Amino acid sequence: MNFQSVGRHFGILLVASVLVLAAARADDAPKMLATSAAPANFTGDWQRYPRIGRGPPADPATLPPPDGKMMLKAKYRGPYEAKRAKERESDAKGEPIAAAGVDCLPYGMPEMMSAIYPLEILQTPGQVTIVAEAFSQVRRIFIGKPQPKIDEVPPGYYGHSVAHWDGTTLVVDTVGVKESVLGHSEMPHSDQMRITERLRLVTPDILHDQITVTDPVTLEQPWTFSFAYKRMPDYEMLEYVCENNHEYTDDQGVTHLRLQDNK
Amino acid sequence: MTYSKLRALGLALLGAGAVQPLFAHHSFALFDHQNRVTVSGTVVKFEWTNPHVFIQLEVPDGSATKHYTVECASPNVLTRVGWKFSDIKQGDKVSLLINPLRNGQPGGMLETATLANGRQLSDGNPPQGVFPRS
Repeated sequence: MNFQSVGRHFGILLVASVLVLAAARADDAPKMLATSAAPANFTGDWQRYPRIGRGPPADPATLPPPDGKMMLKAKYRGPYEAKRAKERESDAKGEPIAAAGVDCLPYGMPEMMSAIYPLEILQTPGQVTIVAEAFSQVRRIFIGKPQPKIDEVPPGYYGHSVAHWDGTTLVVDTVGVKESVLGHSEMPHSDQMRITERLRLVTPDILHDQITVTDPVTLEQPWTFSFAYKRMPDYEMLEYVCENNHEYTDDQGVTHLRLQDNK
Repeated sequence: MTYSKLRALGLALLGAGAVQPLFAHHSFALFDHQNRVTVSGTVVKFEWTNPHVFIQLEVPDGSATKHYTVECASPNVLTRVGWKFSDIKQGDKVSLLINPLRNGQPGGMLETATLANGRQLSDGNPPQGVFPRS
């Protein structure tokens, strides 16, 4: 190889390297923006923590404070307690009353955050997207956007969520959850419900979501409870399509198993 | 403490609201968690689907066969405890330890599947029956 040939090859290599570097920078730009501009980055897969009965006991320092008490107004407390008593009675008889999951409906907010299956959190500029593996639920949290008045938000399963940063804590405000979507512990709510979440990393691998529900119609006072999650470093989220439901609800609201005979 | 007592304790804790099931998408009171039976037979269909995996099984019953519908956890839970969608196929001989349906019909909820080669697959329950189902 003569000098000219070496020079030509070097030149080609240099141009190629610059092009590759430029392409890599363009690809990395959104990720760099997401991680460098935000005070914290929750991107990753997460599972509920601690998992009772699995693994070593949790370090108490990583656990959220005890949950508050749901204080329903008298008008709602009576029917709620009667319903829960009926559920216990039906379970004892082996004839469980159907919950939303039996009909393959998503949990919606805030119960989606209970994470019966893992959550995937994707943080991009101006938005945090939370995908729940169970029922393939998706909620989008818009950072820095104003929240419309409650009666301007169309009712849905996940509501409309906006957020701002308070230091390294993401404070999320959600309104517009359908009244038919039961809350945590099946809490009844009105169209005036507002959910405030404080998401923060307690350690690099433990995330807390402190949730405060206010509802001037059904609640005597705001109700605060928390979910904690542990990072799943190598997890790949799985699909969930509720296509083959053998469970069904009869006209009394009782769940049954459909026995399939393939003969 | 026996297994059934541990299960009963788990149910009692659930009733008291001390802990909540992390993986249930509905009540599993259809099934008798205090009793376990083993059904052995031939797989006629393996449904690797949500919300639950099902094993449709033909079990010898005298000169005839009886059809059992066995509910398992979801593909998601089973994947996380080591199952593959191809672990069970139509025609396989399997032995299933189940919690039977409380209404006496031929069906139940899986606890452990034993394949023809002796391999055992758990339904993903936490150890020691901390929760009645997963």
